[in-house]
Amino acid sequence: MSMLQPRAIAFGTSLALLLAARLVFAEATLYERIGGEPKLRATMDEFVTIIVADDRINFAFADTDLSKFKQLLFEQLCAITQGPCRYTGRDMRTAHAKLNINNAQFNALAEDLYRAFDRVHVPYRLQNKVMALLAPMQKDIVKPGFAPGTQPPPANFR
Amino acid sequence: MKFPPRITGVAIITGLLLSSYPSYAQSFFVGDQGKLLLTSGFSDLEGSGGGGLVPLAFITGYGTQDSWGANAHFTDIKLRDYSLYTFGAAAGLFDRVELSYTRQHLDITGTVLDHLTVNEDVIGAKVKILGDAVYGQDHWLPQLAVGAQYKHNDGISNAAAAGLPGLTSPTQLGATSDHSVDYYVTASKVFLGESLVINAVLRATKANQFGLLGFGGNRKSGYSVDPEGTVAYLLTRKIALGAEIRSAPHNLSVDNESAAWDVFAAWAPIKNFSLVAAYLNLGSILAPVTGVTRHQDGLYLSLQAGF
Repeated sequence: MSMLQPRAIAFGTSLALLLAARLVFAEATLYERIGGEPKLRATMDEFVTIIVADDRINFAFADTDLSKFKQLLFEQLCAITQGPCRYTGRDMRTAHAKLNINNAQFNALAEDLYRAFDRVHVPYRLQNKVMALLAPMQKDIVKPGFAPGTQPPPANFR
Repeated sequence: MKFPPRITGVAIITGLLLSSYPSYAQSFFVGDQGKLLLTSGFSDLEGSGGGGLVPLAFITGYGTQDSWGANAHFTDIKLRDYSLYTFGAAAGLFDRVELSYTRQHLDITGTVLDHLTVNEDVIGAKVKILGDAVYGQDHWLPQLAVGAQYKHNDGISNAAAAGLPGLTSPTQLGATSDHSVDYYVTASKVFLGESLVINAVLRATKANQFGLLGFGGNRKSGYSVDPEGTVAYLLTRKIALGAEIRSAPHNLSVDNESAAWDVFAAWAPIKNFSLVAAYLNLGSILAPVTGVTRHQDGLYLSLQAGF
């Protein structure tokens, strides 16, 4: 019993110090940990290059102003990773309402974003933290119900 | 050969519908391969979508909810005195229903039972009930699925070579039956923020050593409810490392069956192919009969090809 007490005290003190340290030294935001603005801007550049070449989804961006899209996506990712930005675009549901996106296309975009992060060397575990924040948007972007095929929408979509 | 008019009519209409949407037909037959890498699971040793030992709530195949996917697998397990290989095929429909068939072949390669072989067929079905393991990152709800595996022990062969002529069925070892159905519930969740996959299973089963030693026994003939679990870490987009544990009933006095466990590495370089390598430990097998009490452990290797 007397053997346990010094050990217990040492353990308890270390734990208390650790907790105090965490409170005093605020952890860097995910935005900072992925590399802040330069890294995120570089990711957006790569991302747009990749989606334009991705036949699974590039047709959906045929009439999109890509530089505006890049800026809005930057703002969104910056904001959700607690960066110093405000997203100025439309909400996800409104922005995607007429596009008839299905899960395969949503996932294709997610894969392209993963690849973009790879190209700028953001570590995979941090990529997953960003994707964890984006994943819940699936329910606003993909309408429920059957959407067979990943076909280019008819010419008069929009 | 004359086809009944109703069937002919349905066939013609189906053909017309499919041909009028050629692009839909093409993607439907091939599958949209829309799921993210690693999220279709692998083939466990009973053929269900999962890890190596334990099923997951994921539906096999890379087809999303609007499509389907299918795959074939071959698994080779080499333990100290037992070798098992399994092969089979599985399909996932609309990310909702999974169907699988697997054939298992056991070779006893050591102990007094050397040369004995056992065969088993497993037909599996799984239905996703609710949730999405990948998209549901903002809530605690896991992906929940229920499954059943009809297992039929196809008998013991070559027992004469082991000095036991006439041993053809596990019922002669004390099992109450050579076929049974396992029922299970599985809850799986991907914690993307931690790159972790957690899975818990409850299985109602009578199977002895997965059914290779029959079902039920002299110690217990009815169902047992046993827990199983998986923890995996997503190392990269293509590699997952994990561990599984699977408990089992102890129905036979000829076998002190204990929990099986493994540590694995799973690699999916592309959506059409994956490889799982594991260290598997099944505990002692048939120790009261063979006198060999050491743990049966060794290498598990599984190849899966599909879409």
